[in-house]
Amino acid sequence: MRTQNATAYRFLTPYLLVFAVFWIWPIVSSFLISFQATRTVPWRFAPTFNWGRLIGDPAFYNALKNTLLILVIQVPVMISLAIVMAVLLNSPLLKARGLYRFAFFAPVVVGEVAYSAVFRLMFSLDFGIVNKLLESVGLAKIDWFSNVTPAMALIMIAVTWRWAGYNAILILAGLQSIPEDVYEAATLDRVSKLKQFLYITLPLLKPVIVFCAVLSIIGTMQLFTEPFLITERGGPGGGTETLGLLLYRQGFRSLNFGYASAVAYTMAGLAIAITLVQLWLTREPK
Amino acid sequence: MAAVTLTNVVKRFGVFEVVHGANIDIADGEFVVFVGPSGCGKSTLLRMIAGLEDISGGDIAIGGKVMNDVEPADRGIAMVFQSYALYPHMTVEQNLSFGLRMNGNPKPDTERRVKRAAEILRIDELMQRRPKQLSGGQRQRVAIGRAIVREPQVFLFDEPLSNLDAELRVQMRVEISRLHKELGVTMIYVTHDQTEAMTLADRIVVLKGGNVEQIGRPLDLYNDPTNRFVAGFIGSPKMNFIKARIVGRDARGVVVELAGEEKTRIVQPLAGAAPEPGSKVVVGVRPEHFGNAGEGDADIAVAIDVVEHLGGTSFLYAKTANGEDVVIQRDAAKVPDTSEIIVSIRKSYLFDEKGLRLR
Ligand SMILES: Nc1ncnc2c1ncn2[C@@H]1O[C@H](COP(=O)(O)OP(=O)(O)O)[C@@H](O)[C@H]1O
Ligand SMILES: [Mg+2]
Repeated sequence: MRTQNATAYRFLTPYLLVFAVFWIWPIVSSFLISFQATRTVPWRFAPTFNWGRLIGDPAFYNALKNTLLILVIQVPVMISLAIVMAVLLNSPLLKARGLYRFAFFAPVVVGEVAYSAVFRLMFSLDFGIVNKLLESVGLAKIDWFSNVTPAMALIMIAVTWRWAGYNAILILAGLQSIPEDVYEAATLDRVSKLKQFLYITLPLLKPVIVFCAVLSIIGTMQLFTEPFLITERGGPGGGTETLGLLLYRQGFRSLNFGYASAVAYTMAGLAIAITLVQLWLTREPK
Repeated sequence: MAAVTLTNVVKRFGVFEVVHGANIDIADGEFVVFVGPSGCGKSTLLRMIAGLEDISGGDIAIGGKVMNDVEPADRGIAMVFQSYALYPHMTVEQNLSFGLRMNGNPKPDTERRVKRAAEILRIDELMQRRPKQLSGGQRQRVAIGRAIVREPQVFLFDEPLSNLDAELRVQMRVEISRLHKELGVTMIYVTHDQTEAMTLADRIVVLKGGNVEQIGRPLDLYNDPTNRFVAGFIGSPKMNFIKARIVGRDARGVVVELAGEEKTRIVQPLAGAAPEPGSKVVVGVRPEHFGNAGEGDADIAVAIDVVEHLGGTSFLYAKTANGEDVVIQRDAAKVPDTSEIIVSIRKSYLFDEKGLRLR
């Protein structure tokens, strides 16, 4: 038994080494760096230098506010949309199901830069198809990139477009694991389709929905690509700067690794805290 | 209280016809079992009665009212599914009351009905558990309880015992019988197990390939099958079929010679026209209808391969002179120790080449 285990670990060694060097060490190291003043060389140990700054930094609070705002609006909207998409995908009336499934999944595999470029084009002030559509139905066109509210909305639309289908596919798998005869029993019990959805489908999907929500929360806490590429580094004027962008700006533009590490740990801490609250709120009654 | 009548009921899935015009009359309060091999259309028939499948042709009436276009919930039926189909996220109590609650049934009445069902099925102590915390037999009771709560005129069961182990199956069979006596309502029960059919049914409907082969009381089917399929399906171990040919006709009936037994003649009483002498027929003999040499209509020699002792009785697996397999039932005390014995045929059935009974 023992020698068997030892053999297994010997086989795992190459992986464990890589894992230790490129995963464990950075995690430990950045934790240590967050307690060091890194603006001047040599770095020195100064526990309150970064953490103290964080607590009083308006840029941090701005990024935190933006991140949380996107989180509380975009995640619920996207999950609801994903549930609707999954239910439609699961409908026996749907033709060419495979095509839709592919189409919903496709945004995830499109390159981030390409997709951001397309979004910038679609939402451009004078030539974008979105503004053209708005005008064609008699609405005023929107300057998506110069005002904070439309810019935030744009970020949320983009993230939702990119990830709703992915979540829908996960939820679809959950839907398909609900046996058909449970619905037949409900039909015989004179339970309407809507009530079947509310009282049978949704409760049975809860574990999958919670899983999707946790994934989305973690993803949104780290949001970087969209505000970096679509609204041009958190524009206008930091109006869409997220924690991910702040980290990048501090760490890789200002080369202030200590502060960037403190931001990184804050992001991770928040993601864990929100996820725990979420899991606690949706725990199985027992 | 309701009778159920199926008139020329046809079911097609696309172009594929799976039920070919079934005519079945079920009296009010009767316990009828649909039995047949897997894929013969039993579930499809039951689901058409429930309203879960459209009816492609013919009529289904419950309590004298044609139900073809009536919603499943308005047909006065309740169904117990093979997989139980319990709501996994609800407690037993919620499972039982769900339908009533969703329809705004007054709370005291819902509670009364749930309580009654729980008492009938003795599941009172399980009310706060969820399905996954129950054993197979307990789930089965809850599924039946959910049907009772609806207070239906007709109960439909689709192979309700097939997921249970043998012992529990016997126990639940007795329970379902008791339930039928207690409630006195019409029950239609689907199974592929002829033992279940024989023990539970007032009348059995034997199905094969989407056709009704025979309808009758259990013992009528056993004693008087209309064709070779029913003869083989009802009774356990199944009836032996031995090749034979017609040699003539005398005053008592038609004379048959068993293949490989030139000297053995069986005379079968026959009311209808006899087939031409020389035509091939099949003689059916139930394992329990073999006797000691000289005690029956004809004696044949068989070579014993294997003996199965069940205690009181034993089964001899043997071959006829013509090399056909037969199973012979014997009292355990009377099992011979030689491998070649002579047995008599005490009772037999005659079938023509197409499998129709000659009588
Ligand atoms: N939804 C369906 N679509 C097509 N064929 C079906 C469907 N349901 C059942 N069948 C076919 O109808 C026949 C009868 O099925 P079923 O009633 O389930 O048989 P049983 O319950 O007697 O085992 C089978 O040949 C089966 O393949
Ligand atoms: Mg079936």
